[in-house]
Amino acid sequence: MDLAFTPEEQQFRTEIRAWVRDNLPADISHKVHNALRLSRDDMQRWAKILGKKGWLGHAWPKQFGGPGWNSVQKHLFEEECALAGAPRVVPFGPVMVAPVIMAFGNAEQQQRFLPGIASGEVWWSQGYSEPGSGSDLASVKTRAERQGDKYIVNGQKTWTTLGQYGEWIFCLVRTSNEGKPQTGISFLLIDMKSPGVSVRPIVLLDGEAEVNEVFFDNVEVPAANLIGEENKGWTYAKHLLSHERTNIADVNRSKRELERLKRIAKAEGVYEDVRFRDEIARLEVEVVALEMLVLRVLAAEKSGKQSLDIAGLLKIRGSELQQRYAELMMLAAGPYAVPLVHEAMEAGWQGDHVGAAHCAPLASTYFNLRKTTIYGGSNEVQRNIVSQVVLG
Amino acid sequence: MDFDFSDDQEQLRDAVRKWVDKGYSFERRRAAVKAGGFSRAAYGEIAELGLCGLYIGEAHGGLGMGPIEGMVVMEELGRGIVLEPFAQTLIAGGVLSGYAAPALQTEWLPKIASGEALVVLAQQERAARYRLDRCDATASASGSAWSLNAAKSIVPAGDQADAFIVPARVGDKIALFLVRRDAAGVRTRGYGTQDGGRAAEVVFQNATASLITTDGLTALEHAVDIGIAACCAEAVGVMDKTMAITAEYLNTRKQFGVVISSFQALRHRAADMKMQLELARSMSYYASLKLNAPAPERRAAMARAKVQLGQSMRFVGQQAVQLHGGIGVTDEYIVSHYFKKLTQLELTYGDTLHHLGEVSARMEDTAGVFA
Repeated sequence: MDLAFTPEEQQFRTEIRAWVRDNLPADISHKVHNALRLSRDDMQRWAKILGKKGWLGHAWPKQFGGPGWNSVQKHLFEEECALAGAPRVVPFGPVMVAPVIMAFGNAEQQQRFLPGIASGEVWWSQGYSEPGSGSDLASVKTRAERQGDKYIVNGQKTWTTLGQYGEWIFCLVRTSNEGKPQTGISFLLIDMKSPGVSVRPIVLLDGEAEVNEVFFDNVEVPAANLIGEENKGWTYAKHLLSHERTNIADVNRSKRELERLKRIAKAEGVYEDVRFRDEIARLEVEVVALEMLVLRVLAAEKSGKQSLDIAGLLKIRGSELQQRYAELMMLAAGPYAVPLVHEAMEAGWQGDHVGAAHCAPLASTYFNLRKTTIYGGSNEVQRNIVSQVVLG
Repeated sequence: MDFDFSDDQEQLRDAVRKWVDKGYSFERRRAAVKAGGFSRAAYGEIAELGLCGLYIGEAHGGLGMGPIEGMVVMEELGRGIVLEPFAQTLIAGGVLSGYAAPALQTEWLPKIASGEALVVLAQQERAARYRLDRCDATASASGSAWSLNAAKSIVPAGDQADAFIVPARVGDKIALFLVRRDAAGVRTRGYGTQDGGRAAEVVFQNATASLITTDGLTALEHAVDIGIAACCAEAVGVMDKTMAITAEYLNTRKQFGVVISSFQALRHRAADMKMQLELARSMSYYASLKLNAPAPERRAAMARAKVQLGQSMRFVGQQAVQLHGGIGVTDEYIVSHYFKKLTQLELTYGDTLHHLGEVSARMEDTAGVFA
């Protein structure tokens, strides 16, 4: 047992840190450190900088142009990016669909789609949830009917994060109603510029349209865009969900936000208030405990010796802590979290802030992060999975 | 970054587990509780496994092992809710090896390593609660010897131990002493504790003492930190077994014609217990991995660990009883004894609120496993 990173790993961290310092645009990290609004351009700019270096697909194996890092190196990279104030990589392309294309796509599909994902040129969206299919994902109804060398797709996807920017979307579609619900699902890649695709924003409780409904009305999709075999899509979807298990805890971002919480608490005069300070201390312990949990999973992946049954805990705990820091930041601002002025969340806004500038986005972030215990399999579904480990 | 146990550590674990499973049955434990809460015979069997010399160098008949081995042993003893205060042996071995003069080491360490002598920490005073810098005991030099006056509380197996490690003030500084129980002026009053174990009030009246170190607070903090890491590891073992007992019960007990593990309310509670257990295990690793760090870093780590362990212990213990229903609150069934052990461990060497205060006082701008 050893808590320390190896000298090689520490050297790796130093190199990553220097590279991020030299390449992350200051205007972007300023926004991230202060929870100001990120534009499509901000996200895409950072994605392309990473893409040029070959690190947008930082978890990719070498044969597909990735750096071939092990689990610890990936973690160090993610941590250095997060602490420096880099935006989260929009995961739908490089983190979600790319591993499926690598594992189950044919050579032609790999050559066609992977370069655009690796470079950050093509914006991907995720077409999983439907109005009637949330936690019960296998009940998807969006139909794809085979007609010659193409599929005709009809139906609706929802909660499509940043789908307003999407150029391609990977979808779970129903190609058969026979047998169990899971056996009639296929995995289809759809060009969002195809006739019949329309996107409608959903305004969320924070007043932002972060997610969308995507409608498919007799959309023609070439059969060449089917991944793997027809009716095997559920297997591929599960492969996708099993990827990046530790990343879902997002503990690095929680560490960064804990620092911001302390800054805000100091500025608002509650850091020296014992009742408030102890709540921060409690969160600090919880963040360290989650980090240890993440490190245990990473080390087990790296050594391959232990089989750990704790990966299912990461999503539950990670999401709870994200909500907690947002809650404490809002409480630190107290009455000054009440004004909700959308313009004040733009970088460089010249208007008069009510209270300090750092108060402006706090309520919005608090509201926004209520999603974390709901998406990616609600925490109640996650508890079902964990209970299976404990009780069979 | 490596959380695997070495083959030697796994063998050590197997050896202790085998003894707990075969040699320390619930019936034997129950008899020991009835007989006062401490069995010298059981302690002797732990010593025969060679465990008492874990933190004692080979020159003094010990094994010269480190915190991870200590953690492994404590986890397994926790699994069997062993009454005998083995954590005290780790403390005594660690503190005497680290701070005592060679002559005192030569006199005591071989006896501790062999199990012949049980030496326990007697730091608790009525007015101190969990503070270590608060000490009313005093000591003064009389010739080449020392004379000690103190009233120490809740000393583990205090009327059974052979000697005590005692902090006492010399002038305005705290020094650490070793006092034999059979020394003139030492009186003990033993009693049972929550977990079925044993403790004692110990009064020292002009008792003859040997000086361990004049830098007593440093040594005492180290002693208690060894105790905290041991406590955390023991708690992980207790919780691990508590979880297993509870899972088995949920999968066996039938109500409304079905096993109660089919009810989602209970399944989710079990998932929450698993969460607390694994966060606790992670922080127990953290505590033991930081036990040899420089004092400020070590102290901060122990406080963090004890906060997590305290929360986890309370939750897992309380919910284990709850999920058992009526049988959970009986003395006859095993789970209540695990619950009581967890309750006592939270109160040992600083409870959750105390250590939360320690974390709070030490907070820096950045925080993480490595900061």
